[in-house]
Amino acid sequence: MTQSSDTESAAPVLAVREVCKSYEGRPVLREVSFDLQRGERLALTGPSGSGKTTLLNCLGGVDRPDSGSIRVGQRSLDGLDADELAEYRRRWVGTIFQFFHLLPTLTAAENVELPLQLIGEPYEPRQLRLAALLERVGVSHRSHAFPSELSGGERQRVAIARALAHRPELLLADEPTGNLDSQNGANILQLLCELTDETGVALVLVTHSPEAAAICHREIRLRDGRIDSAGTATNPGAAFASPRVSAP
Amino acid sequence: MTHSPPLDSLLWRRFTWRHWKNAPVSSGLLLGIVALGVGVFFAVRLANRSAVAEFQNFTDVLTTESDGLIVAPAGMLPESVLGELRRGLEDDAVRMISVLESTATRPRMSESETIGSRSTYTLLGVDLIALQNLAGERPQDRRWFGQSGASPSGDASPGIASAADPDLWTLFRDPRSAFISEAQARREGLKVGDELPLVIQERVVSVRVAGIIPADPSRPRAPAHLMVFDLPALQRLTDATGRLSRVEFLMEEGPGRAERWAAVRATLERLSSEGRETPRWRVSSPAERRSSADKMTRAFRLNLTILSLLALLVGLYLIFQALDGAVVRRRDEIAILRSLGMPPSALRRAWLLESAMLGLLGGLLGLGLGWIGAQGAVRLVSRTVNALYFSSAADAASLSLFEALLALGASVLTCLLAGWIPAKAAASIPPAQVLARSQGIRPEGLSMPRRLAVVLGLGAVGGLGCLLPPLRLEGGGRFSLAAYAVALVWVLGAGLLGGAVLERLARALAGLGRHGVAWRLALSHLRTPSSRHRLAVAGLVCAVAMTAGMAILVGSFDLTMRGWIQRTFQADLYVSSDGAQSASTENRISPTTWQAVAAHPAVARAQIVQAARLQLPIGETLLVGADLAFFREFARPAWIAAPTDDTVFDATRNVSLALVSEAFSERFRVRRGDQIELPTPGGLHSVTIAGIFSDYGNERGSLLVDRGHFSRWFGDELASSLILVLRPGFDVETVRSELRAAHPGLAVFTQSYLRTEALRIFRQTFSITYALELIGVVVAVAGLGFTLMSLLWERRDELATLRTLGMRRGELAAAAVCEGVVTAVAGVGVGLVASLALGWLLIHRVNRQTFGWTLETHWPWAQMGLLAVLILGAAILTGWGVGFRGARIPAEREE
Repeated sequence: MTQSSDTESAAPVLAVREVCKSYEGRPVLREVSFDLQRGERLALTGPSGSGKTTLLNCLGGVDRPDSGSIRVGQRSLDGLDADELAEYRRRWVGTIFQFFHLLPTLTAAENVELPLQLIGEPYEPRQLRLAALLERVGVSHRSHAFPSELSGGERQRVAIARALAHRPELLLADEPTGNLDSQNGANILQLLCELTDETGVALVLVTHSPEAAAICHREIRLRDGRIDSAGTATNPGAAFASPRVSAP
Repeated sequence: MTHSPPLDSLLWRRFTWRHWKNAPVSSGLLLGIVALGVGVFFAVRLANRSAVAEFQNFTDVLTTESDGLIVAPAGMLPESVLGELRRGLEDDAVRMISVLESTATRPRMSESETIGSRSTYTLLGVDLIALQNLAGERPQDRRWFGQSGASPSGDASPGIASAADPDLWTLFRDPRSAFISEAQARREGLKVGDELPLVIQERVVSVRVAGIIPADPSRPRAPAHLMVFDLPALQRLTDATGRLSRVEFLMEEGPGRAERWAAVRATLERLSSEGRETPRWRVSSPAERRSSADKMTRAFRLNLTILSLLALLVGLYLIFQALDGAVVRRRDEIAILRSLGMPPSALRRAWLLESAMLGLLGGLLGLGLGWIGAQGAVRLVSRTVNALYFSSAADAASLSLFEALLALGASVLTCLLAGWIPAKAAASIPPAQVLARSQGIRPEGLSMPRRLAVVLGLGAVGGLGCLLPPLRLEGGGRFSLAAYAVALVWVLGAGLLGGAVLERLARALAGLGRHGVAWRLALSHLRTPSSRHRLAVAGLVCAVAMTAGMAILVGSFDLTMRGWIQRTFQADLYVSSDGAQSASTENRISPTTWQAVAAHPAVARAQIVQAARLQLPIGETLLVGADLAFFREFARPAWIAAPTDDTVFDATRNVSLALVSEAFSERFRVRRGDQIELPTPGGLHSVTIAGIFSDYGNERGSLLVDRGHFSRWFGDELASSLILVLRPGFDVETVRSELRAAHPGLAVFTQSYLRTEALRIFRQTFSITYALELIGVVVAVAGLGFTLMSLLWERRDELATLRTLGMRRGELAAAAVCEGVVTAVAGVGVGLVASLALGWLLIHRVNRQTFGWTLETHWPWAQMGLLAVLILGAAILTGWGVGFRGARIPAEREE
């Protein structure tokens, strides 16, 4: 089990304890445990088939562990039914995908607005939040464009805005730069760094990329479903250093 | 070197077949849809064929089919022509068979029986002695009295009465003796010697079963409703002494038979006109007579076939939707096959092969269903044919290889057509397309202005088509080919318009997206609708337009009929033979009986109605003799063209005047003031049309002349019916009971009963229409369900994203409901508007051109509203069901 190094005293945003998961008798996750503090960025790395995506799915409430427990803030995911898990996802978790997964028939603004509508945010504050977010991620001028009209980098910016729109406590990112060229990838990593610093949201980032892992405070390497190694970055996100601010 | 199997076989065995096997429910459903469509088509075709096949001379079940026959142009032939014919044909080796044909029914079992509920028997009177002699000379003919003849194959042909071995003279001692078919004996449990009560003319007669006509494989099967009498006996029973329905001619066997018949025919035609202004008889062959039945009912059967084709059309629509959905579901597999080097042409062939197999297997299943359905449908068709055209009592449909192959061919062709676009879609999937996870939304099909231009163009073409006249069929039948084409064009146009309206509607409702995620998602998909959306809307437009259009027609018919029935049945009692179960009945009332009825102390006035079929150059019609002043007073005709003065209603001055029904005017293309030549047994009579009245009784038209002239022309006083007006103070029910008691062979109906019955029979004829409408609506809603399911499959990545964003299953289902409802609103809205045009077309073109009936227009708003609510309700349920199920479709990335 690995503990956070510099925020031991604070209650973790995410607490994973001895999570196990197998598919058709084949173990995919074996007794995985770790904590994550507010504002902390964690890189999940490891070879293909090591269990990264399964773990991310369990954290996001789209899959359930066979045993062990997952707590996000004060909420345990154990025993939640499908509707309660959906409620958990819409309020406390934001997700960023490698292939963006923007809804093709919604404009950029409508995509970002969607999570706010799901939590029942009233129209006026919703529009204010939307405008601020699009401005913050740098795509306000493209707010009425459909995903097919956006570049890869713009799409991922919109996806990041959508993931943060409802002010989640936990941000899950699955290879967020995997489908971008290096320049766009770097820009996205910088944006993630800035936004997690600004909002204090905890980030779990699944990646194969050393550059992406480098922006994280810690890295957990999985192998055959187990934590193979865990370490602390010396200067996480140094390249994109930005002042820590409180959440907007 | 091993020989690799052809790609087609590989694709079939490893992919298509396995998909079918792994999804038995959906495969079965698809086969069921095809089978249902083919089944309806096949059933209607078989029923049509069987009902028309019932029209035959019947003598061919007794002896070899005759070479030709003669019939009177109107009424019956006098028996005296036989001598003349014998003299005229002295040198020709030809046999004559005199035939009298009439009808009868069983007596009613209870007073509550409805009109038309009892089947009609055909009574055939032939000279049995002549037939016996004929059989003696011609071994191929059946012997009648105990001996055996030889069939053409050389087998012994059992004598007709051999089972009982009756004495020949027994038959002649008892004129009530009749021979029945094996089918009737089996069905009614009759045996030789049994008594069978029948209503013949207006009398209840107990007929004795003298023998049973055995089945003979070399001849047509004797139908269950055929009863054979000795000619003089039947003449006596039907008050037709000295009269014949027809004379048939049988040439001697041997070479040059056709040429010999041609010579006889020429002689017969010469004799017919010799020294006469009008021919006394018409010469025809049995084939020509059968063909005249075919022509007479062609328009009716064409209309039915078109209705049955609708079932195939909706089947095509559903199969297309299902195959299209299968392409979506198997997209990954196809993409992998493509990347492995499978050529697009092989994929296209695989899809077409799947379609063809679906057509073949579904078609085979449909043949079975259709054959079963035909057994029920044949009674319905036969009932209509019986009521409108000629006596048909077909109660079973027999299989026809031609019809089976036609239905199977239609099935395969329909499925190939339905599979064509999905096959193209399957072949055009490149692996790269699957890999590109986020595809843009591309507007599909025509741009909005072009779409509207096409819609307007189709509307205008339809408008022009409305000006075209009906297709005139042989025998005077009319078929509204142009009007049907206009209906198709308008439905197509409305379908196209539906897609455009959907797009506009979704944009207009965009504001709803602010208020809920379900609306936001649904409307986002509909503001640039896909071809699937457009097709679903077109399907709904088509179903709603046809259903509501038919409702408008039926509503207008109902309104008109109620008015007509109210006006027409003004007298107190209506009397006919109890055996009169349809328009084609031959049962008449003898003068003795109708005079007795008219002399009842309660009767103030009596209208005696006489009727006879009349052969005009274009086709057969009905000539009616009645008191025209009574007709004006108690039938209150609605005039299409009213008589200009009262002459026609004055029996002393109306000898050359006639009134005709609207159907007659349309069919024979005559107007008020035109003259018509009537070939009657009493000679050719020229009458002028004094007025044209609305009549919804038959589509062949009728011609009314004063009864005095009628009975003089036809030389008989037999009445078809009596209409009685009672003196004040007499109770209608009491008089009815008294008349029934005095004349058990008469049917006596009160005005209110007849009004109710007429309306019931009219409404009953529309029952098949309601069934077809229901199928149309169910199919359109099912099509919407297929569309939504395909769309959800297509959007499975999107659904996974939405689940990840925290959408619940119910919310995803709600989005599908919103999408389904907006689609349905567009379809129903445009469909209802189109139905107004279609309703107008059906009333003022199809109905008017086919039947020659003018109808008052009635818009059944409540029914149309109910239809809209039903479809929207069904769309909500379907959307919810599909959405709830679809919400669990795994994403490609989750698989």
